[in-house]
Amino acid sequence: MRFRVGTDVGGTFTDLWVYGDDGRQAVLKAPSTADIIGGILRAVELAADHFELSVEEFCASIDRFGHGTTAGLNALLTSSAAPTALITTAGFRDTLEIGRLKRQLAGLTELEIGDYRNRGRWPAVVPRQLVFEIGERVDSAGEVVVPLERSEIDRVLDLVAAAEVEAVAVATLWSVANPEHEQRIAAALRERFPQLFVSLSHEVAPAVGEYARMSTTAVNAALGPVMSAYLRRLDEALRQRGLAVPVVVMTSEGGVVSADVVSDQPVSVLMSGPAAGVIACREIGHRLGHDKLLTVDVGGTSFDVGTVVKGEPLMRSRLTIGGADIQRPAIDVGTIGAGGGSIARVRDGALTVGPFSAGARPGPVCYGRGGTEPTATDADLVLGVLDEEDFAGGTMRLDRAAAADAIEERVAKPLGLGVLEAAWGIRQVLDSKMADLLRSVTIEKGHDPREFVLFAGGGQGPSHAWALCRELGIRTFVVTPTATGQSAFGTGTCELKRTVSRPHYLRLPGDGEIRAEDVAPLAEKLAAMTAEAEAASTAGPAQGERGELTIRRTAAIRYRGQAHHLDVPVAEELSSPAALGKTLRCFEEQYEALYGTGSAFREAGFELTGLRVLASRRLDGQVRPAARDELEPHGTRGVVFDDPLKPVDCQVHRTAFPAPGQTVSGPCLVMFPGQTLVVPPGAVARTDELGDFVVTLDDTEDEGASR
Amino acid sequence: MTGTPAPVKNVNDQPPTTGTALDPIQYEIIRNRLLAVTEEMRIALQSVSGSPTVTEASDFFTGLYLPDGEFATMGFQVAHEAPPVGSLIRHINTNRRAPRAGDMYIGNDPYVGALHQNDVQMTGPVFDGDRLVAWAGVMAHETDVGGMNFASWCPTATEVYQEGLRIPAVKLVDQGELRDDVLEMIVSASRLPASLGLDIRAFIATINVATERLHSLFARYGSDVVAEVMRRMITATERQTRARLAKLPDGQVHVRDFLEHDGHANRLYAVDLVATKTGDRLTLDFGGSSPQAPGFINATRAGLRGGVTGALIPTLGFELAWNEGLLRPIDIVAPDGLVCTARHPAPVGSATVETIWTVTNVVQRALNLLLSCSPEYAERGQAVSSGTMATFNLGGTNQFGERFGLHSLDPLAGGSGAFASHDGIDAGGPVAVPVPAIADVESNEQVSPLLYLYRRLRPDTAGAGARSGGHSGEMGLTLRGVTGANALVMTHGAEVPNSVGLFGGWPGATVRQRFAPGAGRDDEDLLREHLAGAEPAWQELGPKPGEFPMRPGDVFAVSWQGGGGWGDPLSRAPQDVAADVERGVVSATYAEQVYGVVLTEGAVDEERTRERRLAVRTERIGAPPVAGADPGAPGHALGPALRLVRTDTGDVEVHTTAGAVLSRGSTHWRSGAVSRRIDPGAHRISLHDELAMTAHYCPLSGELLSVDVHLRAEEPLDELSLTL
Repeated sequence: MRFRVGTDVGGTFTDLWVYGDDGRQAVLKAPSTADIIGGILRAVELAADHFELSVEEFCASIDRFGHGTTAGLNALLTSSAAPTALITTAGFRDTLEIGRLKRQLAGLTELEIGDYRNRGRWPAVVPRQLVFEIGERVDSAGEVVVPLERSEIDRVLDLVAAAEVEAVAVATLWSVANPEHEQRIAAALRERFPQLFVSLSHEVAPAVGEYARMSTTAVNAALGPVMSAYLRRLDEALRQRGLAVPVVVMTSEGGVVSADVVSDQPVSVLMSGPAAGVIACREIGHRLGHDKLLTVDVGGTSFDVGTVVKGEPLMRSRLTIGGADIQRPAIDVGTIGAGGGSIARVRDGALTVGPFSAGARPGPVCYGRGGTEPTATDADLVLGVLDEEDFAGGTMRLDRAAAADAIEERVAKPLGLGVLEAAWGIRQVLDSKMADLLRSVTIEKGHDPREFVLFAGGGQGPSHAWALCRELGIRTFVVTPTATGQSAFGTGTCELKRTVSRPHYLRLPGDGEIRAEDVAPLAEKLAAMTAEAEAASTAGPAQGERGELTIRRTAAIRYRGQAHHLDVPVAEELSSPAALGKTLRCFEEQYEALYGTGSAFREAGFELTGLRVLASRRLDGQVRPAARDELEPHGTRGVVFDDPLKPVDCQVHRTAFPAPGQTVSGPCLVMFPGQTLVVPPGAVARTDELGDFVVTLDDTEDEGASR
Repeated sequence: MTGTPAPVKNVNDQPPTTGTALDPIQYEIIRNRLLAVTEEMRIALQSVSGSPTVTEASDFFTGLYLPDGEFATMGFQVAHEAPPVGSLIRHINTNRRAPRAGDMYIGNDPYVGALHQNDVQMTGPVFDGDRLVAWAGVMAHETDVGGMNFASWCPTATEVYQEGLRIPAVKLVDQGELRDDVLEMIVSASRLPASLGLDIRAFIATINVATERLHSLFARYGSDVVAEVMRRMITATERQTRARLAKLPDGQVHVRDFLEHDGHANRLYAVDLVATKTGDRLTLDFGGSSPQAPGFINATRAGLRGGVTGALIPTLGFELAWNEGLLRPIDIVAPDGLVCTARHPAPVGSATVETIWTVTNVVQRALNLLLSCSPEYAERGQAVSSGTMATFNLGGTNQFGERFGLHSLDPLAGGSGAFASHDGIDAGGPVAVPVPAIADVESNEQVSPLLYLYRRLRPDTAGAGARSGGHSGEMGLTLRGVTGANALVMTHGAEVPNSVGLFGGWPGATVRQRFAPGAGRDDEDLLREHLAGAEPAWQELGPKPGEFPMRPGDVFAVSWQGGGGWGDPLSRAPQDVAADVERGVVSATYAEQVYGVVLTEGAVDEERTRERRLAVRTERIGAPPVAGADPGAPGHALGPALRLVRTDTGDVEVHTTAGAVLSRGSTHWRSGAVSRRIDPGAHRISLHDELAMTAHYCPLSGELLSVDVHLRAEEPLDELSLTL
């Protein structure tokens, strides 16, 4: 038997999803360890046990070992990355310090921005005394204004030698227009200090805008020594246990790449976990034939949302993590501080839920770990959504009376409500906040939420999904049996993906003619980028990974002066002014779809700011889980749906990997280990051939279809 | 990163407000939704706009208003800009026939509500059936709306008529139909019609977003309920603001700041504020300010209100929802005809960065003095941040052969003021801009004919103090890719240290603007020489050189104000000073001169530092100190070194923590301090001819209690008249 494995390391658990080619799949969870690798190896042991194999037999039978990790993110957030120096153009030493003035707000929640004392939480990634200026200058056209002298390189290298660092970032002005100076500095660094990890800005973050490019390059350099050591140790440990294929790692942009690519560009995997979760849903949505998805993950402290349109996740080009802007494509995951641990408070006669969270410690009142303020989880328990006897797969008992007391004391009494009404109020406030985020990620991007299918993940997602759907007018939601290990599933199934992007600045007239001499360099650059992306997606991982190649090319276009561009698909050969003209028309169509008919304003003129080529290879073969469990009846329970004074009696079912073709009607509950699917009155839940629950809401209940 | 201001927290539990019954759960849901709508308005505006002031610097405003013009929501946007759209709405309510659904009005008249003509506003009524429920409003700084000079800032203007198109309130969209004839007339007045046209489209999109979202809220919850939520949001913030004011000491605070040069001559103007706090009310009286100027630095009454808001929201609005409720407990008092209440047709083109900015400075200082003298909020006391914004505009024909205009936002990168609890932020920017941003140098060079020599922090520019202010940024640039262009350079604060400190903290450095003619060199020669360390032949530009031609090889260089410091610099931990020196933001000379910290190979020389600090204290009071400060000294703290003490007979006295009695019967403590006029040269501060600076010391310990900027011909103000 052959296996596919996906792993995802979270703060508490290391998840492992495994699929055998006999159709069996499993999600296994091991406690995460400080060295990360211990948790992964433990999860591998659990998986081998599950299939009654030795670890060596199991590892030797693995065709794909996918990995998602927060190792880089943790290093960055705990300031434990490698000591790093930065070399930049003379006159611009303080680019990170000044941080476009924006850096002072990094890491602040909306609640914190209005209090000016919170500013400046994060220091610059490289301290000012380790930033070295070098005499050279290139202009926006790539012309050398001041040549870089060898003596100047030597002078700066002496400073690096004295600095006792493990990594050096090189980020000079306009290196994206002419990389020669960065390359010469790098060559000299590598010759003199072969042990140092060197990052070049034109390679790591090829985009105009020195702050984000410099910041990204500095982060990459600082993570380099940490991440390459970590991946080397992981690879060695797994090889010793018989793994024959290279480990592939999930990137923030939602594709896997081989570990050696990550060792060069660790900054590309900072947000691999959330990206893997969205990719997992995209895979399942693809199987089910849905191409507009909202993926929600309701955890203890945060609510994360991804959006998939036409089968592709919506992306963003920049993230802020810790005190650093990261200029790398990433799946756009919207997040707010709302989840099971969100604390309910009455302030000034109004009920607020979150953003303060009880977290895992002390946690909700019902955990009995010392929490005193009622949370959303306490409300769910009181409302009958959760089972006090059977929580977290039966590993934990909840204290319903304590939850009810806390809600009564701190919410119900101050508001003059009954306990159930107060608990329902907590649910409503929380659900409406989550719905606000879902609205903003769809409507703001010009999409109608009613056309989407919602994928509910995270411990609390399947129990809140029905309310979110109703709030947004969504008819269908999906709960997969692997939802508690969704990111691991994503790393195990995701395609190989490489993106090549280059800035290219072109000012185009709104009405005048496009000049042929402007188009030729564009076509040339696009051809070179395509070749590079193809080659990159072929190198690296194992044979079995090389499915069909897909190439997509886009140009970043905007009206002159705008800050936001649209990524517009371009023809294979952008060889003539007419072809570029077509691309501009395509931009205007996209623009009007987004901002409304009549919003196009070609009088302003256009700007093309960059090109992107994306090469991907889907994994060969399909994941086809075999039929499994029948639903097992497990008594009934009163659950509050709309009227808090009239809980509805619900049939309770239990399952882990349900067999296809089973149907249940709401109101009922389906309890999985670690998650509870709530099917509201009037809704029907049916398992598809892969064991996913597809829940269809009664459309007469469509009252909340509000835009 | 930008968003909508924080929901309420940290306020006493109180029963729900009386009035129509409103379900508290529904209140919270709708309140969150209204904040989300405001955020969606911001995104619509920033996505469509083509103005760097909007897309890069969030120099704009979006909000939802009640029918009478009070704002119920706003984003984290320029706080000066909170009142103008409300004034536009009031003007429409009073002077126009009743609005109809689908109407939108445009305005930019500083004698109606704008801060200056560049601030173009648009507002649209939102109806439920035939009932007017709310207004959606938006405004943004437009780079050019006509007038004598490029960018509509006209140093030689003598009347507002010379400063560009003025629109009191014109219906641009009539029941959903864009009046393209009016639009054409408006954009024709601008030197940058495409940019203005794109932004007006952004405004329309923004109001459409708000209208659509509000309609779906009305459909779901009923417009009565939504309107009631908006009113409650304002009254909740009002109540919390009043509760906050009630915790500040009663009494008066008298503060004054200055701005120099009115565009015609280097005259000095005072913005004078007497803030009277009684119970839960605050009266701000600007009656002592200078008469209006003949030039463009004036503010109208609308500008004065904007200036007050610019300080009030950031200083008192922490952890509150930002809306009109913050302004309700505040009375603004001033007769017409002052520099901050100019009469029509006085010119006001640069009001925002001149008088309005200075108004914000004095309100900041007054509120922070009150916070500092309140036990609950003392840790929040902050010195003045970035007390000016120097202007660098460039216009002409760019490297693409197009007419262009640049309004540089780099000058936002002044230092922020020190807090009682920690240092200010280097290049932290002004408080009135809650989410500041400046463009990358590369982005600027890509679209404008500029070549920067540097953009960096300038050492030794932070206001010195136990807590240091933030250091200011500086930039130097020349032109490239064109044969020349016209620069417009102006500021206040080149000869006035506006970013003053608190409690002995020094003001940050003043602005320095310089120019070096290329004298035949091109930009490349210049850069090479610059990198080789050559200093060109600088001409000092002073505060307002106005418009002048610039060519490749010429250099314009400017450094901005550092943030004010907090507390006596001699009280700063020597290790913190050593760290600043290691970072290279403080020179070793400055460390020794100003902080009394002596370093040997980068490490603090404890012994020599002690000696040096003792010598400075001795020099301050003309004799060796006979007592040291005791932070645990009893009494009500008025900052770190002063205590208000009530004697057995009930009289008020102010003591220093070293035990000196400075005043009896009032809080006018300056009379009992050792006071000396001081030369601020070591602090990179230049002073206008009519100004002087005075330091006040504890006669026993030599501790620095305050550094005051005042008229040379007068003594410093006794700022505090508290009646605790």
